[in-house]
Amino acid sequence: MPLLEILKSSGAGNARKKILILGSGGLSIGQAGEFDYSGTQAIKSVVEQGLDAVVINPNIATVQTNPSPQVKVYLYPVTPEWVEKVIKQERPQGIMAAFGGQTALNCLVALDKKGILAEYGVENLATCVRSLEVSEDRDLFAAQMRKIAIPVPPSIACNTIEEARKAAEEIGYPVIIRAAYALGGLGSGFADNEDELNKLARPALSLAPQILVEKSLKGWKEVEYEVMRDRQGNTITICNMENFDPLGIHTGDSIVVCPSQSLSDDEYQILRNASIKIINSLDVVGECNAQFALSPDSLDFYVIEVNARLSRSSALASKSTGYPIAYIAAKVMLGFDLLEIRNPVTGVTCAFTEPALDYITVKIPRWDLTKFQGVSRSLGSTMKSVGEVMAIGRNFPEALQKAVRMVTELGSGLSHEFTTQHSLEQLWGAIQNPTDTRLFSVMACLRRGIAINEIHEKSRIDKWFLNQLKVIVDLENLLVKESESSAVANIDDVVHYVFDHYTAEKWLRFKLLGFSDEQLASICLASRFKEAFSWSDALIKKASLVIRALRKDKGVTPVVKKIDTTAGEYPSPSNYLYLTYGGTVHDELTPLPPKPTAIILGCGPYRIGTSVEFDWCAVGASQTLRKNSWNSVIINCNPETVSTDYNTSDKLYFEEISLERVLDIYELESPQGIIASMGGQTPNKLVISLAEAGVKLLGHSPASVDGAEDRNKFSALLDQLGISQPRWINAVNKDEIEDFTNLVGFPVLVRPSYVLSGAAMRVAYDKVSLANFLDAAAKISSDHPVVISEFVEGAREIELDGVAHNGKIICSVVGEHVENAGVHSGDATVVVPAQKLYVETVRQLKKAASAIVKGLDLNGPFNMQFLARSNHIMVIECNARAARTFPFVSKVTGLDFASVATQVMMGRSPGIISRKEDELPHVGVKAAMFSFTRLPGVDPILGVEMASTGEVGCIGQNFEEALLLALESTHIVGPKKGLLVSAGPEAAKLKFVPVAKSLQKNNVPIYATPGTAAFFEEHGVAVVSVGWPDEPGLNVMELIRSGKVDFVINIPKNSKRRELTAGMQIRQTAINYGCSLMTNMEKVLSFFSALENTSAKHYGEGLISLPPMI
Amino acid sequence: MEKFGSLILNNGDVFSGRLIGAPVHSSGEMVFTTGMVGYSETLTDPSYFGQIIIFAYPLIGNYGIPTLPEDPGAIIPAGFESRSIHAAGAILAMDSPEVYHWNSIEALDLWLKKFGVPCLVGLDTRHLIQLTRDLKSPLGRIEPKEPEGNRRLGDSFSFELDKEHFFDPGDFNVLPYISSHSRKIYGKGKRRVALIDCGVKWNIIRQLLAFDCEVELIPWDTDLKTVDASGWLISNGPGDPENTGNLISQVKNLVDDVRPILGICLGHQILCLAIGCKTQKMAFGHRSHNQPVQLCGTRKGFITSQNHGYMVLEDSIPNEWDTWFINANDKTIEGIKHRSKPFFSCQFHPEAAGGPRDTDWIISDFVACLKDR
Repeated sequence: MPLLEILKSSGAGNARKKILILGSGGLSIGQAGEFDYSGTQAIKSVVEQGLDAVVINPNIATVQTNPSPQVKVYLYPVTPEWVEKVIKQERPQGIMAAFGGQTALNCLVALDKKGILAEYGVENLATCVRSLEVSEDRDLFAAQMRKIAIPVPPSIACNTIEEARKAAEEIGYPVIIRAAYALGGLGSGFADNEDELNKLARPALSLAPQILVEKSLKGWKEVEYEVMRDRQGNTITICNMENFDPLGIHTGDSIVVCPSQSLSDDEYQILRNASIKIINSLDVVGECNAQFALSPDSLDFYVIEVNARLSRSSALASKSTGYPIAYIAAKVMLGFDLLEIRNPVTGVTCAFTEPALDYITVKIPRWDLTKFQGVSRSLGSTMKSVGEVMAIGRNFPEALQKAVRMVTELGSGLSHEFTTQHSLEQLWGAIQNPTDTRLFSVMACLRRGIAINEIHEKSRIDKWFLNQLKVIVDLENLLVKESESSAVANIDDVVHYVFDHYTAEKWLRFKLLGFSDEQLASICLASRFKEAFSWSDALIKKASLVIRALRKDKGVTPVVKKIDTTAGEYPSPSNYLYLTYGGTVHDELTPLPPKPTAIILGCGPYRIGTSVEFDWCAVGASQTLRKNSWNSVIINCNPETVSTDYNTSDKLYFEEISLERVLDIYELESPQGIIASMGGQTPNKLVISLAEAGVKLLGHSPASVDGAEDRNKFSALLDQLGISQPRWINAVNKDEIEDFTNLVGFPVLVRPSYVLSGAAMRVAYDKVSLANFLDAAAKISSDHPVVISEFVEGAREIELDGVAHNGKIICSVVGEHVENAGVHSGDATVVVPAQKLYVETVRQLKKAASAIVKGLDLNGPFNMQFLARSNHIMVIECNARAARTFPFVSKVTGLDFASVATQVMMGRSPGIISRKEDELPHVGVKAAMFSFTRLPGVDPILGVEMASTGEVGCIGQNFEEALLLALESTHIVGPKKGLLVSAGPEAAKLKFVPVAKSLQKNNVPIYATPGTAAFFEEHGVAVVSVGWPDEPGLNVMELIRSGKVDFVINIPKNSKRRELTAGMQIRQTAINYGCSLMTNMEKVLSFFSALENTSAKHYGEGLISLPPMI
Repeated sequence: MEKFGSLILNNGDVFSGRLIGAPVHSSGEMVFTTGMVGYSETLTDPSYFGQIIIFAYPLIGNYGIPTLPEDPGAIIPAGFESRSIHAAGAILAMDSPEVYHWNSIEALDLWLKKFGVPCLVGLDTRHLIQLTRDLKSPLGRIEPKEPEGNRRLGDSFSFELDKEHFFDPGDFNVLPYISSHSRKIYGKGKRRVALIDCGVKWNIIRQLLAFDCEVELIPWDTDLKTVDASGWLISNGPGDPENTGNLISQVKNLVDDVRPILGICLGHQILCLAIGCKTQKMAFGHRSHNQPVQLCGTRKGFITSQNHGYMVLEDSIPNEWDTWFINANDKTIEGIKHRSKPFFSCQFHPEAAGGPRDTDWIISDFVACLKDR
């Protein structure tokens, strides 16, 4: 390990040497939670070697931004400018950029080019910048591959649209367009002809200086290898992965199996050899991912791309194999060779080994496209998913069925749509032009008896996979026949009629192939009662418990198996576990010490509304349990998390967070209880049914959770306590709605319980839009009521995060939204401590909160949301669980709320902890991170439905500084080239006048749409008026496309259709052309006032590192 | 119609499973492999003679079985390591009755039937591997009938033992059963290699031919004095290296000469015995595609394919010889090298098939030492 020694002896004095680790920033599509996993392992690995870690990452909700004596955290944008400032202040000896995704890698390349690394003597510890450039630049890469005789798809780099056209002619359509230097396939797509090429190439060229036109390999197999290499040139492949979906769908949007299933030894080794050859030729140090296209009918292959860094795939590979890739990669970067590093999972083997799997894992992406109005649901070369799950099984159907349940959170899983009647035409359409639900369409075709060959022709999915699906359908059909033949009419009787006679062997046929009890119940009942069966989760759940009892009577239960990287060749102390029916004997388990044990339920897949912050909570809970001499057992199924790391808990079950599976594990472990309040809504939803099944829950009682969750009960409690709330109604018909809107007026917030299409929540500003929405998008009936509530305009929104103990608040923090109410709290900009609230408002709010906490008898973490207008407060909701703001408020105030909450749940009484927010040395601002660039067709506007995919949180000397940092971290920076304003409402225009005036002083040209321009002229601000999108001449669209503006303010007004459409076009174009976009006037004003008040001279001097939490 | 059968271990444990392949009795040493691909290579590897293989990877047979040319003189194509299945039986968690791979002509079941090899499916293979590991490669027997009573797939129960019915390949010299019976010449290359067939894997021949050699494949008991070659390759093979008849003493004569020698796997062990080393049966062998070996005196490692149950003891290596490779996990000897003469041998399989091909340079290095004809 000479490098480590050099590092330790370099620089001045005996101080501990520092390694700078770059994070990836806020979670966005294509760059998500996987980098919290990798960064956190890297930090662990570095600190273990006696070095200090300095982390730059504005993502406050991550585990890697937890400061400690050895880990200094800077919540700053990961850009060359800020990283340089941190380097200047900290003077680290080395830098690691491979753990922070494309963001960190791009930053490293820039730092190197600017000579900053050389200037401050910071050693790049991983792959050299030249190799990174070769791996990123397709031309250089192709040339390099030709040198080592590795085939690359015919590809031509183009700098202009004309060049692109010529290239496509030369290669021949269909072609694929890709933007160089882009993450997650941004700006890429397939073109079948010149028209499509034009449509794709133009915006792609705006995102990147160069695009690539390549031969399309649609239908080829897509196979990836994860490769690790040390400075000695020792190279191993950690595993390979095969995409269920053939080439054509971005690998981040593909269903992926590990290891490959349809490859022979020859194919496996040819691609393995190629990966090793490529990685050696690039002189990679650390981890690297290589993607290949493999012909479905020969040994031909092409290398598609390599990522010379940790990636989403490496996180998946790490969880698939149990091999701690990021941890080992960091060691390798410090100069250790793979032969001298122990594999911490086995303790006896060395890190220079290729994991052997005796199970299969299936990853399914989580899309959440229904959350976005207007987005195309088709999948292609641009990634759209926001999260993923991984399931482990001993056969493909078992793993796949688990994964489908994990990702959909439907107990009936793959059989969910088995009664849905789609026309054959629709099904073929969905199979040929894949969408997020293609798997279900394939199942539907198989249920209709369509041959595998035909489905293969249309989908190009390998027939082996299709046959595996058919095996599932065949078993479904068996159960359908048995159920249909039952003459009994009562639901319970039907279940008994069908399943009473099942032998252990029969049960096993179903369970081995991954059928859940709820799935069996729903197939049975749906096929017995057909249309007459009114689908109800409660009924299915009840029937599933009968099934569970019947099957347990026959001794049919799952066994625990271990992931140990050696497929059982060596005994392993690993406690990384899964359950399967593909075995008869529990694995040799390492017993836990005789201490109390708690099971923590994780958050499941990341999605809109549930993200890394809940993983932070679960990890915090686990750490607190272990620190206080409890055993911690975690159940989670998200491979991008730190909670599923092999050493975050004492036992990890990589499993479904479902009633059936949690009960299975509960019965195996007999713990003190289950912690269900630290993983967000997924575990929270299970609380009642778990309690009914006799499970002991730690913390809030099920009654408390129910009291907060059940809208009627909660509303009644507020009435009883005399606390106001926006008026609402649970309407079952249109008359009720009419009466209600006559009473409260408009606007109203509409939340149907059954949504036909589009987003679930909507604001209706008048009768017409309400009627339109209800007619077109929602079903309304006594089974499917619609909640309509008063939508309070012009109010402040305030959050209170806290921990209660036996009905008393023991700690809490007030967070104030920068935007007025109406922006979903997950998309809002939040500041702690509150800046502009009346003391009286805070007093009222705390009083109400105490009353609610007492009324619900809360005993654990909670979050409340309030509206305040002219010193009057109203309660919107109370969550009897940790909220997404927990890490933010914990880190800003320095009080670890996750830890306090866990101690309460362990039955300790930490007593009242008073933290005076007004005595904080800094101010914290949390801002939402959006991924609109990846969701073409979506209106990039803030509204009542959450749309952000991540968040950042920064601290500053004052509100302004923190706000600027947070917004810069979400890529919003002040206008330099020009500003476009299109401020709909009069009030908004007026408010902006002073800002416009001061901007003019700074010589930033201002453009405005006609109405706004006229208004500004009247108020003495000279601006350039530009026409609406449908007007000839220099209209607003041309302006944005021309690159004359880099900041767009568009405040929507809810009036004329033309303006609505035009507004959306402006916003979408602004996003597509990389402008900073703001659509909320309070945010605009705060931002520009911050820009003006923060003197450029002091901004960013004396950076603040995050103080550790207590 | 599904058939059932049972696996009986010589400690009395019995496991039942679905029977595919040939419905016959079979017995042998219980071994396991953790390779995730390459089942057709594994099953046709002569080194598995007399062994029942438990496959750790639970899904076997996914990509079917490739075509084998009927001409017995032809070079066998990749995918097979010999003309027939040498393993005594196979134990799987799950098979794949339907196969679709472009290079496949039949499913595992039919192929096993053709070669008269039984296979049990649906067992808890991970448990069996741990058992095999702890019992240190017990003997086992596949019975083509279901055990008495109402049993579930994979269930285990005790059984009245009949010890005589267990075949132990370690008990006798197995080379006469797997070595070729007559001398055969392949290729017309510049260098002439005599390949001593102790159960040779065909990829050794394919690789030698690729490096422009003429290969004379000679039966294990050929009088080596009658062979004209510029170098010797002692092949892999099954069984106890000490139980190989007069081969060791024949190899002793080769060592007195200067013509290059390469030993692979059993060939390595035989060479070691010939120079006076000692061998020993391992608790459980190395049978996988992920064995790390380190090139001695360097920080360089290779991932290798392995299949052996005996090892060479380090203390016994004579003076003129060096340890060439060691296993990076358990530090056992993985190869030796003569200090001055072109003699070397490795415990792992540089010819791979199946498994990683990181050490194929050993064969090319060996060929490079050979004098042209």
